[in-house]
Amino acid sequence: MDIQISHEQQASVVAVSGKLDTLTAPAYEKAVTELIDSGTTQMVIDFAELSYISSAGLRSLLVTAKMLKTKAGKLALANVTGGVRDVFEMAGFGSIFAMYDSVPAALEGL
Amino acid sequence: MKGRTIAFRLILAVSVCTTAILFAVLGFDYLHSRASLEREIDRNAHNLTRASVFHVETVLMSVQAATETLARALESAHFDSGEVRHLLRSSLEANPAIFGEAIAFAPALDDDGRERLEAPYFHRRDGHIEFVPVEQAYAYPDKDWFRRPRELRRPVWSEPYFDEGGGNVLMVTLSVPFFEQEDSGEQRFRGVVTADLALDWLTKLVSEIKVLDTGYAVLLSPSGTFITYPDADFILNESLFTLREDLGSGEQLSRLGQRLISGVEGSVNHTDLFGEPARLHFAPIEPAGWTLVLVLPEEEIYDDVRNLALTTLSIGVAGTLMMLLVVVLISRSITRPLGALVLATREIAAGHFDAPLPTCITDDEVGELTQAFGTMMRELSDHVRQLTLTTAVKERIESELKIAHDIQMSILPKMFPPLPDRDEIDLYALVEPAKEVGGDFYDFFQIDEEHFCLVIADVSGKGVPASLFMAVTKTLIKATAKSGRSSAEVMTRVNAELAQDNEQSMFVTVFCAILDLSSGEVIYTNAGHNPPFLIRADGAIELLVSGSSQLVLGVMEDVVYRTESLTLSKGERLFLYTDGVTEAMNPANQAFGEARVVQELERLRELNLRETTQAMVASVQDFAGSEPQSDDITIMLIEYQGLSD
Repeated sequence: MDIQISHEQQASVVAVSGKLDTLTAPAYEKAVTELIDSGTTQMVIDFAELSYISSAGLRSLLVTAKMLKTKAGKLALANVTGGVRDVFEMAGFGSIFAMYDSVPAALEGL
Repeated sequence: MKGRTIAFRLILAVSVCTTAILFAVLGFDYLHSRASLEREIDRNAHNLTRASVFHVETVLMSVQAATETLARALESAHFDSGEVRHLLRSSLEANPAIFGEAIAFAPALDDDGRERLEAPYFHRRDGHIEFVPVEQAYAYPDKDWFRRPRELRRPVWSEPYFDEGGGNVLMVTLSVPFFEQEDSGEQRFRGVVTADLALDWLTKLVSEIKVLDTGYAVLLSPSGTFITYPDADFILNESLFTLREDLGSGEQLSRLGQRLISGVEGSVNHTDLFGEPARLHFAPIEPAGWTLVLVLPEEEIYDDVRNLALTTLSIGVAGTLMMLLVVVLISRSITRPLGALVLATREIAAGHFDAPLPTCITDDEVGELTQAFGTMMRELSDHVRQLTLTTAVKERIESELKIAHDIQMSILPKMFPPLPDRDEIDLYALVEPAKEVGGDFYDFFQIDEEHFCLVIADVSGKGVPASLFMAVTKTLIKATAKSGRSSAEVMTRVNAELAQDNEQSMFVTVFCAILDLSSGEVIYTNAGHNPPFLIRADGAIELLVSGSSQLVLGVMEDVVYRTESLTLSKGERLFLYTDGVTEAMNPANQAFGEARVVQELERLRELNLRETTQAMVASVQDFAGSEPQSDDITIMLIEYQGLSD
């Protein structure tokens, strides 16, 4: 797993690539927690390069959402496709996360 | 076999380099000093030759001048015999270098018609000047000393000779002719004035010329005969051209001899004319036509250079040896602690962290290495101790996790068939646990006389938190599933409980179904779980996908779940599973996938529930091959067998 963080005008874009599973979820959570602790409230997570997400990965997303919620922030997901999309849909996460087809669309939707 | 050590390589490199430098310096030095020595010797020899020649020429010129003065006096007038004797005596008195003088008149016919010879001669004897009258029998007109000046009409120096009458000394005679001016203008020969010169002083002078230690000077007569020579026997007895007859003097030596007496000045290198190889310097002594030769034996010339070179070589060799010794010592001082470090390393590798390190700590890189090594050893030792401790802790945790896992497995129902006294259903379920404790579970229980509850679930994440969450979920579901409640009601209530104060955001996917034993109707709710497969009586396999999936349990409190339904006919089966089946990976990083599940179900359809389930697990494990199982594999297979007749 690799995480690239960039800062747009109104939000931080976190691009996660590779696998987000039991092994890599702690690193993801650490990176995102630091980002939120440093003041980020508007966040877009870009899954364009994510090949796999496990239930542990989904849990990490819930943690992220919860942290942002306590700070009155917002989270949007972009490019949730393929197998990752299937996992999201199966777990019913489509109804609790705002998902967009691209990063600009996600930024727009925040 | 030990490889080339540092010491060996250092010594090799240093000795090759220094030897090369040494020989280069030595060679240059040898050639240079040889050349400068040769120049120096040449210069000295040249000066010496010049000085000696000048000395000899001065004497010879004074004698010649005195003799010629006498001759001119005789030409100027006629003297009677008394006056002639007086002239001779005076001249001899005035010229101490001259041994004896004579005036030999050309023979004249006396009154008797006889040839009369007149040649008064004075010479020195015991410090006096003595008159010697000529004997008439001494026919001097035929002698060379008289005949040659008359013929040549100029002064002539004789070849040196031993004067046997006068003390057996080496003599040379100068003969100067004198003439009378005839009326016809012709010069009439009247006689010869002679001066005898003893050459003992010359022999002494030349023999005193010392060149180096073994060099010497030689005086040659115009014909090449030795006038002086270190070996007195050679004097007048040998000449340049007889000297090397024994060696069959070649053309070359002969030419060299001619050159020496040709009246030019010069030098010759490396000739063995005088026996041993030598360097010759030669110069003519003009009036007498003699040649002075300096003989410089080469052996002596080059002895000095050779000695110098040998001295330099010895110093160089000694210096090189000392340097090598120092190199050996230094490399030893480097490699000795290194060797000790190697030994210490082996000890450490064997687990002995208290292995002694070299104690002679120097201030150099080796010392630093030793210190760094000591630090490394201590830290390694600490680290290993820490690791041992950690490992012990980890082992304890793993052991406790194993126990937790065993407990977790033990709370799953294992009574197959589940309702031994009834025929409506048959069921088989198993969990093939992964190494790490997971959060999969299944459950089945009878709610009331007609209803039977089936549950399969997967808690997010792994480990103790997942297993605790699983136990809670299982308990909650079983407690909530009461007669009259639909699966949706059960899920809604359980979700509300789980989502409340769920700080960890853990969640669980659940497939919960309530089967009406008499009708085969199944009311079910899928909370984010993998959709089960329905195996129809005719063999068709359907995936129980609903229109829109529902959220997993534990995420949001106020989710309301809904039910779906289907009816099982006799012999139809429901295949429930967790993602440990479909997401099992093979080494090529491919997932087992739903398609393979369908394929296997078709293949295994003739087998009973237990066999089918176990075969499915075996297939998944075959597929995964060497890839370690990362998730629990949980399967529950139910067959509706309908009402018994």
